[in-house]
Amino acid sequence: MKILIVEDEPKTGDYLRQGLREAGFVVDLVANGTDGLHHASEGGHDLVILDVMLPGLDGWQVLQGMRSRGQQTPVLFLTARDQVEDRVKGLELGADDYLVKPFSFAELLARVRTILRRGRSGMEATTLVVADLELDLLRRRVSRGGKRIDLTAKEFGLLELLMRRQGEVLPRTLIASQVWDMNFDSDTNVIEVAMRRLRTKVDDPFEPRLIQTVRGMGYVLEVPEDAR
Amino acid sequence: MLSRLSLTARLTAFYTLVSAAVLVGMGFLVSNATGRHFVELDRDYLLDKIGLVQQIVREAPSHEVLSARLDELVDSHRGLLIGLRRGDEPVYGHEDPLFFARLPGASTGAEPASWRLGTQTLRGLSAQLEAPSRLQPGGMVHPWHLSIAVDTVHHAHFMTDLQQTLALYLLGAILLSGLLGWWAARRGLAPLRVMKERAMGVTAQKLDQRMPVEAVPLELADLAHSLNTMLDRLQSAFVRLQDFSSDLAHELRTPINNLLTQTQVSLAQKREASAYQDILASNAEEFQRLGRMVSDMLFLAKTENGIELPHRESISLHQETQALFEFYEAVAEDKHIRLLVTGEARVMGDRLMIRRAIGNLLSNALRHSPAHAEVHVTIETRGDVTRLCLSNSGPGIPPEALPRLFDRFFRVDKSRSQPQSDGTGLGLSITQAIMAAHGGSVSAHSEDGSTCFCLVFPGGVPSTASPV
Repeated sequence: MKILIVEDEPKTGDYLRQGLREAGFVVDLVANGTDGLHHASEGGHDLVILDVMLPGLDGWQVLQGMRSRGQQTPVLFLTARDQVEDRVKGLELGADDYLVKPFSFAELLARVRTILRRGRSGMEATTLVVADLELDLLRRRVSRGGKRIDLTAKEFGLLELLMRRQGEVLPRTLIASQVWDMNFDSDTNVIEVAMRRLRTKVDDPFEPRLIQTVRGMGYVLEVPEDAR
Repeated sequence: MLSRLSLTARLTAFYTLVSAAVLVGMGFLVSNATGRHFVELDRDYLLDKIGLVQQIVREAPSHEVLSARLDELVDSHRGLLIGLRRGDEPVYGHEDPLFFARLPGASTGAEPASWRLGTQTLRGLSAQLEAPSRLQPGGMVHPWHLSIAVDTVHHAHFMTDLQQTLALYLLGAILLSGLLGWWAARRGLAPLRVMKERAMGVTAQKLDQRMPVEAVPLELADLAHSLNTMLDRLQSAFVRLQDFSSDLAHELRTPINNLLTQTQVSLAQKREASAYQDILASNAEEFQRLGRMVSDMLFLAKTENGIELPHRESISLHQETQALFEFYEAVAEDKHIRLLVTGEARVMGDRLMIRRAIGNLLSNALRHSPAHAEVHVTIETRGDVTRLCLSNSGPGIPPEALPRLFDRFFRVDKSRSQPQSDGTGLGLSITQAIMAAHGGSVSAHSEDGSTCFCLVFPGGVPSTASPV
């Protein structure tokens, strides 16, 4: 997967490149709108991460230029201004998503993966399996090692999200938004508590522990390395 | 053009114009009355002289004596002109037929006619005289006509003098009244200058200056009062802003200081990888909190600047509360707190913002309630307002803290510099700003053992059908 970053702030650009590389992507970084449009129009990228405030052409113009040349690469906007008009403008021009600075890297990574996953859904699985944990989407049942686990509706939703995106670190804001439809930063430890309760049901009676906390980032469901 | 003129100039001009109109009118009246008076005088004079001529005619023994007497009369009265005719035959003086034709008769009571003859301005009358038979030749009785006129040059001189004097006086009086008007306008507007000087004294550092309400005229007292209330509002807003800035500096400085110290201490010597990981993770958490604080403040700044609501739709308060209950369910169960909601109403508003407003109250209540407590949300529409009240048992809020509860960064427990939760101290301010943006309000009251927050929405439709 190849990603183009158009970002004029050198530090931000470098960290984004490093972070995305370490997450397994091939990354190109350019620092102004003119180069950005040139690279983006050549194609060959799976995603463009575009800052709005750019020297040369601004983010809107780059996006317009791309779309007018028939270049349909998905675009994720980074903006420092959380204005409704900005959001609407970006989405109207054909952006796929936007993030308001300051954002957490985990959030960006999650959004990037969401965009890249679009359009290659294929057959929708009815059962999710990680190690000996099984989640039956049709009958809404969860079992581990053959033992049935009773979950509340929201716990089921939470586990489903973690399993669908196994191996990805999911930030709390994303979890709150996807599972509870709470699209604002909550200042309580709600996700932490919910995750702990889920673990007592899914992880505590079993080995190995599948739900991991990544401090300062979020949560991830995966089979730990030492158990593979 | 006129509207750009200063008030003093305008008042002065107006005053001058009015007094000029009055004075000029007066001048015309005086000069007219004087003129008429002279006409009266001339008429009396002419009537008197007609009497004299009649007497001379009546007593004259012969034509010669008559002519001599009339010569005497004309000589002793300057400017007097006499024409005497018997029928169409001139007897004495002027022979010009026009002189006779144009003069009105004295017996008709008409005004003397006035006309110019060479350099003279004449005014004259005519009369029929009785003549003794000795003066009637041939025993024929002919009517005797007298035309008499007087030169009014001295009157004209007097009138010209009078008019000149009047004009000079008028000019002087108008100038003087203009000057007086200017002075009066300046005096009258003096309170405005006082207000101006006061206003110029108002700066960010000296917002306590006020307009003198008692010392200005009634018309300006209202204005002064309005300006004072404006200054009151500005001052309180400014003080809040100042407090906010210093609070903000403090709120940001503490975590930044912690981060800096921690980072520098960890850089001071080599450590194991896991130690670095711990430090970075802890820093990341702190940074997230800082980022959230900045976002919250931006949200507040935007909301308080009177934004248009991003979306406006009909929202079921019951459903929103239920959704929030589901979100906070785990936390509540952890503390064995029961969450209850009763009543239902629909209001117009932005779903995300209203969720956030209620969510802040709920998270606040969960944080401050003891274990096994109950958080009860009641929704009701009464009259034209809808209330959503959230009450919980707990230690209660001290009365002196209530008014400041919605101030940014305000914490009841000041000593707790680092909050146990990762809150930003802006939750209740955000709730208040959201309610203000919806045209509503938020209030809090607390008694010993229970606290209640109420969101008040304008309008709203009550609904008995509570959705599950």
